[in-house]
Amino acid sequence: MTWLGIALIFWLAAWAVNVALARSRYHNTKPVRLIVPLLFGGSLLVLWEGLVRGLGISPVILPAPSVVAQTFVTSTDILWADFTQTVLKGALSGYAIGCLSAFIAAIAIDRSAFLTRGLLPIGNFVAALPIVGIAPILVSWFGFDWQSKAAVVVVMVFFPMLVNTVQGLRETDQMQRDLMHTYAAGYITTLTKLRLPAAMPFVFNGLKIAATLALIGAIVAEYFGSPTRGMGFRISTGVGSLSIDLVWAEIFVAALAGSGFYGAVALIERAVTFWHPSQRGRA
Amino acid sequence: MKNLTYSIGFAAAAFWGGMAQAADDVTLQLKWVTQAQFAGYYVALDQGFYEEEGLNVTIKPGGPDIAPAQVIAGGGADVVLDWMPSALASREKGLPLVNIAQPFKSSGMMLTCRKDAGVASPEDFAGKTLGVWFFGNEYPFLSWMSQLGLSTDGGEDGVTVLKQGFNVDPILQGQAACVSTMTYNEYWQIIDAGLSPDDLVVFKYEDQGVATLEDGMYVLEENLEDPAFVDKMTRFVRASMKGWKWAEENPDDAALIVLDNDETGAQTEKHQKRMMGEIAKLTAGSNGALDPADFERTVQSLLAGGSDPVITDHPGEAAWTHAITDAALN
Repeated sequence: MTWLGIALIFWLAAWAVNVALARSRYHNTKPVRLIVPLLFGGSLLVLWEGLVRGLGISPVILPAPSVVAQTFVTSTDILWADFTQTVLKGALSGYAIGCLSAFIAAIAIDRSAFLTRGLLPIGNFVAALPIVGIAPILVSWFGFDWQSKAAVVVVMVFFPMLVNTVQGLRETDQMQRDLMHTYAAGYITTLTKLRLPAAMPFVFNGLKIAATLALIGAIVAEYFGSPTRGMGFRISTGVGSLSIDLVWAEIFVAALAGSGFYGAVALIERAVTFWHPSQRGRA
Repeated sequence: MKNLTYSIGFAAAAFWGGMAQAADDVTLQLKWVTQAQFAGYYVALDQGFYEEEGLNVTIKPGGPDIAPAQVIAGGGADVVLDWMPSALASREKGLPLVNIAQPFKSSGMMLTCRKDAGVASPEDFAGKTLGVWFFGNEYPFLSWMSQLGLSTDGGEDGVTVLKQGFNVDPILQGQAACVSTMTYNEYWQIIDAGLSPDDLVVFKYEDQGVATLEDGMYVLEENLEDPAFVDKMTRFVRASMKGWKWAEENPDDAALIVLDNDETGAQTEKHQKRMMGEIAKLTAGSNGALDPADFERTVQSLLAGGSDPVITDHPGEAAWTHAITDAALN
């Protein structure tokens, strides 16, 4: 019970400190803005540790964070191999192929009314296919290795990217395009100088949605046949062999990779669309 | 009038409550979906063998994402069916499972290979891709490969392992030279898909000397200290074994009982009758009591894992008990 008590006291104390910090006159300074979320996250971990130890929860149901951290440190080679397989090979290649082809398709759709009526409904249809239905089929087409995972990711990211880009290309109004016309600008010039820059907030919106989808797609696709490595493989088989600590370590890696990936796209967005109202006033 | 209705309602509720209390509740977690592999338990339920022992048994079907060991750890079942390699591995991970009965005498696990993939004997495995089930079912395979001296990391001198889904597609499409099959299930899926037995080479784990014990009944060690639980399990094992022997003698009827209990409606009569016929061969020769020699053979096979053994320490005799079968069968 002592563990439980210590954890609860720490949690309440951290809470009180955070409230005091938020009410103090330093609440808008940089260190305080850093300390508050760190303290909050840290106190949740302490609470988790205390609950698991204090209530004697079996490690095959929920391992303590300290156990997960230990597993993380001792099995970095496994985690790195899985990360390479799932994120670097499966998710990123699928993301690149899917987003690039959707971008090109969006420009083609924008250029032709025929494609707008033909391709968009098909894109819509593909987006509605459940991943558990297409994953086994793609595995049997592209084999068990990362190629089939990349294919699942392509299917998953294509539609959000396409819809966002198509919408973005419609952002400019007739007056602006007429102005370009009076400058004697052709289609290509209008596209690169006016319409693509205007579409960028939408394009990055699609890229950010696709970033999280890509990771989920690559992991889930590994449930349907995979070589003996990969994050999805480890998560699905780790539960069966009661290596729950390793499963949590993989989940931690997935969370890190997902946030890192999203953060990188958001940073590029800030650099590219610095002129957009949503980016103004940010440090 | 209203009062009378209420009184009857309350009386009925009390009566039902009394009935339910009279029987001891037992929850059994199966290793896999409802099929003839578990006919003994469904027969015992259907024929009232559990009721005769004063038990109210709930049978929970398993599936590809259900690990029986985790269910029992979470308090979702009193007794689970598991394979011994997986149960012993759980034991090493700190979940003390104990084998209380072993209705399956022989192993139904095989590696089924295509002749045209160039496999004639275990010496030909090197450099090939083999399909393996995971989720705790990979242990017998891993111990076999380490006994053959083959690494499972791929390459010329090793075998490439692919995680096989619960179907036989990889061998049909030529993605793997061999896939894992059970005598009573997946082997027949390959035959039904159009390959003839002449196209195939079959390695039974039993014949390779690496057979491990499948589908034993496991409970948590701490529960066995409670005499009431032991008594309940004694009655459960007695009724279940009666169900198994009934199923062996009446395979077709047993298959129909299984079909009645299949809530998914996914199983077919032909498939289940064939499966029951094969299952009867595996349960034949077991009265429910674990043969310590079989246990020792399984443990030795799992320990002989070379650099990557399935278990590192001999679990000792604490991993099984005859206490329940001795009481149940005499």
